[in-house]
Amino acid sequence: MSDYLVKVSGIVKKYGGHEVLKKVSFDLKPGEVHCIVGENGAGKSTLIKIISGAVHPDSGEIFIMGRKVRNLNPRLAIELGISTVYQDTEVVDTLSVAENIFLGSEVPSPIPIVVNRRYQNEQAKAILKSLGISIDPDIPVGELPLVYKQVVQIAKALFRQSKIIIFDEPTASLGLEETKALMEIIRSLKKRGMGIIYISHYLKEIFEIGDRVTVLKDGEYMGTYKVSEVDTEFLVRKMVGREVHLFYKRERVPIGEKLFEVKGLSKKELVENVSFEVRKGEIFGIGGLAGSGRTELVSLIFGILKPDAGEIYIEGRRYVPKTPIHAIRNGICMVPEDRKRMAMFLGRDIVENSVVIINELLKVAFLRKKEEMNMTRRLINELDIVTSGFSQLIEHLSGGNQQKVVMGRWLLDENAKVFIFDEPTKGVDVGARERIYQVMIELAKQGKAIIMVSSDMPELLSMSDRIGVMRKGKMVEILDNKDLSEEKLLRSFIGV
Amino acid sequence: MEGREKVVIEKSKRPFYSTQWFFLLVAEASLAIITGSINPRFFTLNNMVNILDQISVLGILASGMTLIILTGEIDISIGTNLGLVACVSAMLIKSEVPTFWIVMVALGLAVLNSMLVGISTIAFKAPSFIVSLGFLSVFRGTAFAITKGVFQTIYGKFETLGLTRLWGWFPLSFLIGLVIYIIVDFLLRFTRLGRHIYAVGSNSLAAFYSGISIAKTKLLVFFINGLLIGLASMILLSKIGAAQPTTGSGMELKAIGAVVIGGTALTGGRGNILGTFLGVLLMGIISNSLNMLRINPYFQEVVFGIFIIIALGVSVFSAYFKKG
Repeated sequence: MSDYLVKVSGIVKKYGGHEVLKKVSFDLKPGEVHCIVGENGAGKSTLIKIISGAVHPDSGEIFIMGRKVRNLNPRLAIELGISTVYQDTEVVDTLSVAENIFLGSEVPSPIPIVVNRRYQNEQAKAILKSLGISIDPDIPVGELPLVYKQVVQIAKALFRQSKIIIFDEPTASLGLEETKALMEIIRSLKKRGMGIIYISHYLKEIFEIGDRVTVLKDGEYMGTYKVSEVDTEFLVRKMVGREVHLFYKRERVPIGEKLFEVKGLSKKELVENVSFEVRKGEIFGIGGLAGSGRTELVSLIFGILKPDAGEIYIEGRRYVPKTPIHAIRNGICMVPEDRKRMAMFLGRDIVENSVVIINELLKVAFLRKKEEMNMTRRLINELDIVTSGFSQLIEHLSGGNQQKVVMGRWLLDENAKVFIFDEPTKGVDVGARERIYQVMIELAKQGKAIIMVSSDMPELLSMSDRIGVMRKGKMVEILDNKDLSEEKLLRSFIGV
Repeated sequence: MEGREKVVIEKSKRPFYSTQWFFLLVAEASLAIITGSINPRFFTLNNMVNILDQISVLGILASGMTLIILTGEIDISIGTNLGLVACVSAMLIKSEVPTFWIVMVALGLAVLNSMLVGISTIAFKAPSFIVSLGFLSVFRGTAFAITKGVFQTIYGKFETLGLTRLWGWFPLSFLIGLVIYIIVDFLLRFTRLGRHIYAVGSNSLAAFYSGISIAKTKLLVFFINGLLIGLASMILLSKIGAAQPTTGSGMELKAIGAVVIGGTALTGGRGNILGTFLGVLLMGIISNSLNMLRINPYFQEVVFGIFIIIALGVSVFSAYFKKG
């Protein structure tokens, strides 16, 4: 018999050529809360997906209750007693609390094919009561506050007699009171001898309920520690401190006068009173944790979302964002976060994908095919796009080359002034990444203003002249990128 | 970017045998050879011209449908729209209204109907399938109401459009159809509107982010579709010399079938007019062959259906093999 509920070792997972987990080990004992910390992209989510059977590791061993498991899948994981609580997925809003708990294992009544509602409701009530919660199990889940969606998932896990519950960022969208209530529930689960895996960006919570903590950094296992023996300082230092080769040595560009300015930009529940300015030749980084309002901020500038309040100025001229085409006409460019969903025209060739913006700007009624080919050829040469020819469909390019095409379409407009890059190198190989950085520097040299949203800390630190830090919709700090350390930046992100 | 090696990029073409139009040509040629060897009358000039004559109306409707489907929408009301317009035109012809006004009313009414479908789809953010299903009923009901269900005959009048044979043998209606194919092809390949149609159908969010108006593009397409329905309606009326509320019913399915057989993706963004032309031609050849071979006309429906399913299979498989 083993003392561990879960024990994994030597876990390796690769996506393409990129290793997201490099020989990671992790274990969980009964009656403990084991936290996993690390920055965006450290591999926390991948690790728990492996433990819950959603993702297969490329190598490594998984033991559950002392039994070696080879082909773990979500169904088997549930049977073995592993449940995962997500923020708000996994519950059906239109079904009642009890129906959600019994979803997939409905209790039949004496009448065939009819569900025994009364019995289910009573059982649900009893389970909820054991958690110290009294809600009517007959209410549709959609009408309950957010925290109860998690409570329903926890109740479901208890009904399934799970031994292990995984919490993935459970408090990200909860208020203070709700977080407190959740912590209380987790403590009671712990007392029952269950094992809890807890992931959170908020280190404070870890010190509140954690027993042990495992630190991941860029997919690497940094160690496991007793929470009582470490402090915030120590954890932050473990999470940062990357090797020099991960940073890009950029060329410095002289910075000119103010070109772009945002004053008090707000959008209800998303962005609150954000002000900053970007000068000619400057790369202004925007950092922060996932869900801190970074993408929403640039969506406001580009006219995708409509701001409730605030002013924007380009070269001193007032600009009111209306629609993307209006933003484009005012010299604002945006390379969006998710190129497949927001930028790529699948099933269309690279020429059509390259000239889409310039055609809109020139308002040509009839296409000038020759000119289009010349422009595309220029982009292919300048950005080193690897392609088999003009009629190659964009989805048949590699990730890095796709990104170069959707970025290149903005470079054909010489009058553009402000460039917004949202996660410019997400899912891009190292070679393409460097090329994209060079293009950004080139633009800076031409005196453009550049705004770069990024979750990648080395990228923010290597490329930005200044970094605006977003936290819960506010720009809490604007840091000068001189002697700025990873540690200081991360502290600013999480607010410690 | 000096010093870097310039890459020579050629416009690469997919091998011809892996394209949808090649499959269609093979299917059409083999059908023709089989039919021709059993009944040599198939290969007479007269019969060939007949086939072209018979597919002209379907071709015009399918051209409009290609545009609609490329934007990712669908319109199943085009058949009853055509029927309503034909009924109204026939009634006007019977009451001796000048031809110019008949043409204007026919085109105007067809455009109005089509725009109603388009505007409702966009305004309600509803699937166009359901919206046009509703209008299908509205148009047919209106046609029944204004004709009181009576057959509207116009024998001997309004014959130019449908029955003229240029040089004594070439059907004018087919020439009109051919011109429409060419115009739509030009629109799709050489105009910015054509690009917008593909872009909106391929990825409407990316189109919006690139400054393309989705609503404007779709409304323009519904407008053009209306014009084509009006034109098709007049040609059909001229050919058969009569109209009733059920005229054109079922044409929408044939048009959608021809577009799909021609390789246009129902999800939008992929396809071209050459495919649609060959799809329409295939339908014409099938129906003619079945007549030539004296096969039960009811069986035609079955064969059409099977061909649509085969065409879907072919495009799914070729997409699958391309991925490897």
